[in-house]
Amino acid sequence: MDVEMEDLKTGTVVVEKVMGKSTATRCFSKYPLKFILPRKVGSSQTDAVWIYALTYGGGIVSGDSISCEFTIGDGCTAVLTTQASTKVYKCVGSRCSVQIYEARIGIDALLVVIPDPVTCFSTAKYSQKQVFRIMSNSSLLIVDWITSGRHESGEKWDFTHYKSTNHIYLEGDEPLFLDTVLLEQGSTVTIAERVQDYQVLAMVIILGPKLKHVQTKVQEDVKNMMSEQLQLPATSLRRYSAPSTSHSLIKPSFLASCSPFGPQGSGVVIRIAAMTTESVYRFLQQQLASLEPLVGVLPYC
Amino acid sequence: MKNADGTKKSRLTNPGLPWSQWQLLDSILPTGGFAHSFGLEAAIQTRMVCEPEDLKIYVVHLLENTGSLLLPFVYSAFQSPNLQTWYKVDKILNATLTNEVGRKASIAQGSALMRTAASVFTEIPSLKVMRQTSLGTGVVNFHHAPIFGMICGLLGFDSGTTQRAYMFVTLRDIISAATRLNVIGPLGAAVLQHQVAAIAEDLSNKWMDRPLDEACQTSPLLDTVQGCHGYLFSRLFCS
Repeated sequence: MDVEMEDLKTGTVVVEKVMGKSTATRCFSKYPLKFILPRKVGSSQTDAVWIYALTYGGGIVSGDSISCEFTIGDGCTAVLTTQASTKVYKCVGSRCSVQIYEARIGIDALLVVIPDPVTCFSTAKYSQKQVFRIMSNSSLLIVDWITSGRHESGEKWDFTHYKSTNHIYLEGDEPLFLDTVLLEQGSTVTIAERVQDYQVLAMVIILGPKLKHVQTKVQEDVKNMMSEQLQLPATSLRRYSAPSTSHSLIKPSFLASCSPFGPQGSGVVIRIAAMTTESVYRFLQQQLASLEPLVGVLPYC
Repeated sequence: MKNADGTKKSRLTNPGLPWSQWQLLDSILPTGGFAHSFGLEAAIQTRMVCEPEDLKIYVVHLLENTGSLLLPFVYSAFQSPNLQTWYKVDKILNATLTNEVGRKASIAQGSALMRTAASVFTEIPSLKVMRQTSLGTGVVNFHHAPIFGMICGLLGFDSGTTQRAYMFVTLRDIISAATRLNVIGPLGAAVLQHQVAAIAEDLSNKWMDRPLDEACQTSPLLDTVQGCHGYLFSRLFCS
């Protein structure tokens, strides 16, 4: 990459096979971003490069703009994660903070994106975009999640604007998965009203041959978990003026649904709404435990 | 023709237009909208909607999500109601409807609408031709929003009417589903529909005339709940 292009990017990582092992052959980052690539994660059998993305000051400041490029070579495995939840600080002068990640994943390669959640502080404005370009037989796991804010300070869905875009393209720019979630404080409907009592929203995308076992397990588990919650037939819930203290009217504290997408259902997307961050961490620990042999450690532990 | 007082009766420049508009928006048109509850059935079983007040909130969130996510697709197809644009818009929508329940519902409704429109609006032979060319080829999924926009464009509706009409049919169908799910009675439903109309107008104005790359979902909770439709113990609706 020539010098001019480099100036536009806040971070770049290239992972390629060197002597049969996934290796970061290029790693560049500049303020406000810092990449840390620990040498040893997991056993010596593990073939994965771990990339920690840190922001100076522990969070994203109003007006920050972060733009990164990742290239995961054929057959390689890389993990992109954070050290702590991404805090987006309050908005100053109506400047929106922006983070853009673009990743190319090669044939038979695996990219696992397992960050901690984003936490937007009161009045924050934040927009993130993640674009993944995959080849045949690429595998991809993406966790994208947000909490309602600093609950301890009473900040619940108190930010101004949050937008998260996740795009996955097959070869030839064929769109496979195009999703944008926009949470914007409105004059008539607040974000809190839109999300009701839930404090955490999460999305997990699981795609590719190396993750088939993860897909199968999560679909089965979510189906079982939700079926238990929904067993009451609709007739018993029909009320015109029932007392709201009735037990059957309590919302589930963890709501999830799974959807296949793509040709032959090659991908699965799980959407989650939960009342506690811990319950989502637990869910992710359980569902992603089988990744350990691929990435070296248990994710989210 | 003259009125009783001798003044000339005004004639419409496009006399068939209002009649086509009313027919397209009438729930009696056989497009299968009655089979879908837009996640309401699941919302009831997850206790998100228990009382008529909850229903109003649900309807407003659904309308906003329809505006933010689907109006760009109605608009794009409306502007260029031809085969090439239809295929392109349909493909992007297919990747955008990541919720399988919603995606299948869109395909079912779109297919039914295309079939009906091709038979009914014979003054637009291209509808039948486009449908015949595309059936069974797998190049297009027959999603609802682009087909709706395309039909309105070919019938000569204006842009604002088309996009409002899309919001209207969504409102019409969710209200109808709510009465069948017994959340509200038929008269209460009619009252609610009128109450929501002003909000629907604001939302239509807010979200209309946007390009495809601005399509987004504003109610992720709705998406999560709608996705639970497949887990329901007993169901009345397909989605």
